[in-house]
Amino acid sequence: MEQRSANTWRMTVNEKKFIETALLSDVRIDGRGPFDYRNVTIQFGSEDGSSEVQLGQTRVMGFVTSQLVQPYRDRPNEGTLAIFTEFSPMADPSFESGRPGEHAVELGRIIDRGLRESQAVDMESLCVFAGKWVWSIRIDLHIIDNGGNLVDAANIAALAALLTFRRPECTLEGEDGQEVKILPPEEREPVPLILHHLPIAVTFAFIGSEIRLVLDPTHFEEAVMGGKLTATLNANGDVCAIQKAGGEGVIQSVIVQCLRIASVKAADITGKIKNAVELYNTGRALRKIERYTDSVDVSAAVWKGDENIQKEMDKLRLETTDGIISQSDGKDIKIHSSEKDATSLADKRPSSSIIGPSSWDPYSRGVNAEELKASLASRVSSTPYTMDVSVSSTPPMKPKDTTMDRPIKDADTITSLPQEPPAAGDVQSITSLPQEPPAAGDVQSKAKTLKDAVKPKSLRKKKTFIK
Amino acid sequence: MDLERPGGRGANQLRPMDCSRNVLSRAHGSASCSHGETRVLAAVYGPKAGTKKNENPEKACIEVIWKPKTGQIGKTEKEFEMILKRSLQNMCLLNVHPNTTTSIVIQVVHDDGSLLPCALHAACAALVDAGIPLKYLAVATCCCLTESGQIILDPSKLEEESMKAFVCLAFPSSVQSVCTEGATKDGGEPAPHGIITSLTHGLMTVTEYFQCLEQARAAITPLSKILKRKMQSQPASYQS
Repeated sequence: MEQRSANTWRMTVNEKKFIETALLSDVRIDGRGPFDYRNVTIQFGSEDGSSEVQLGQTRVMGFVTSQLVQPYRDRPNEGTLAIFTEFSPMADPSFESGRPGEHAVELGRIIDRGLRESQAVDMESLCVFAGKWVWSIRIDLHIIDNGGNLVDAANIAALAALLTFRRPECTLEGEDGQEVKILPPEEREPVPLILHHLPIAVTFAFIGSEIRLVLDPTHFEEAVMGGKLTATLNANGDVCAIQKAGGEGVIQSVIVQCLRIASVKAADITGKIKNAVELYNTGRALRKIERYTDSVDVSAAVWKGDENIQKEMDKLRLETTDGIISQSDGKDIKIHSSEKDATSLADKRPSSSIIGPSSWDPYSRGVNAEELKASLASRVSSTPYTMDVSVSSTPPMKPKDTTMDRPIKDADTITSLPQEPPAAGDVQSITSLPQEPPAAGDVQSKAKTLKDAVKPKSLRKKKTFIK
Repeated sequence: MDLERPGGRGANQLRPMDCSRNVLSRAHGSASCSHGETRVLAAVYGPKAGTKKNENPEKACIEVIWKPKTGQIGKTEKEFEMILKRSLQNMCLLNVHPNTTTSIVIQVVHDDGSLLPCALHAACAALVDAGIPLKYLAVATCCCLTESGQIILDPSKLEEESMKAFVCLAFPSSVQSVCTEGATKDGGEPAPHGIITSLTHGLMTVTEYFQCLEQARAAITPLSKILKRKMQSQPASYQS
């Protein structure tokens, strides 16, 4: 026992006094203002559903896994969610391995309340066979480094991991349809979880005898504080949970002030999480393309377009994949992007040509960047549920040739494309859509609307090449 | 007949390795090591006062805590802890700090094959980062044996699972990368050599085992060069 207490770190009286005195002039020891958050960095691991969040010096890793289990008796058509927090001994010299201490349990409960009771994770979509088989989602949070404010960091890690997790698809089999067979990712693309909103935890510490409020305490401030308040809100301003377990008493106006500040910060952090997840998803889609083009023969026809056009295509490809990802239909991504990728990765792979309609003439004319933009933009603007004016008048195109044996014919996104200008004939054929010479007039007169549909360069997402 | 490895790796080709020190702010020493996709994080706290109950108080005690990515701690984790502890006990100078405990915490971030070597490298780097006195640094590799009798180094998870047998070997790192003369010097201490740890899974004949040993030994010098280069002083990387 003496050994353990000898190993814990203690705060000295001078340090305490210094922190409290500095706060009287609204100065914190790391130079922040009282209501400034530290930098949040969200990174993802190589697997789906693994995240690593760094909030200042606090580091938390989140892992999400799923399993098929029997549902609870009283909720036969809902999945289950379980959160396991692990205060790793590497985070702090006072953390012990073994059973979770009270802080670990409290942290787990706060995050659990934010996710489960606010119905952030959709449980009914996890049901496979009511009463028999449901998906059980397990979130493991590992606290790696304790730099203070573990709740917020762990919450962000849990949300980031949930947003990037993909659960496998499964089918019902057997004579009575009661056996469940889990499909491997090569057969069916795993699906993401449905999250209705993102509950963000924001922690405040009350320091000193005059109850100075600070946001996002570091572990020095946590050692000095008299009380703590965690408010879990989402970007819509809904309060999902408030936790103030003992500590110094504070007046009501302070609590209301906390909630107001928390709602601003919650919106901010929600934006950051969403950006990070989007970046990850585009990277993931690109990786998927490379995986699928491995198994399918891709044309080796060299796409000699110059650098700029390549970049434009990639930029737009990223946008289109983004647009399609939001439909959560993996098949579309695979087919659509791999066609474009077929051209960009063409020189690396041997071929049996899938891009081989007889009307294809690769190098007769260079591709005009403007027209390329326009045609690809029209693809962007014509996502299945929103059809632009320019598109509605044209009938869906059916691929003429059947030189491709891949299931491109039934790809809805491609067949619903508008007619494309004839000068961009090369572009069309590169994307393996043989077209009859389209009514040039149609698109030319609407060139203005199509161009307007293209995002100006400044707003386009940065291209990220991830191998 | 050469086996086709994903990514076009040769039979003796190791995956890209990366090792960075000082990744955590609270731990006395920390390191993150990755072999391809396998990533392990190690942190060292110590020396702390007192030894465990059954340990010799005249020497320092090493304690290893192995944390898997998900799931409960079970027998495999305990086995890894025991293997690492015994390997590191040999490496550390135990008489420098008697009656103390040094804890090494290993966190598996991603397991894509060759987990134990990666963990050992991370632990060594973390000990270096913490300033714990060591006799030598260890290098480790995994060797597996295909059905056709071919030996390949540093398998990935898929390869490991489909192999007939595999063995993890740990050696003291090569002295040649430090000394310009040979390892034999008059009047100096003999350089440490030999196998520190050997762990086999599956069935293999004695000749096959020795062949694996030779191939792994051949990888010591390049591995130790890479590791030493990575472990050289770096600025603290935990500052955000």
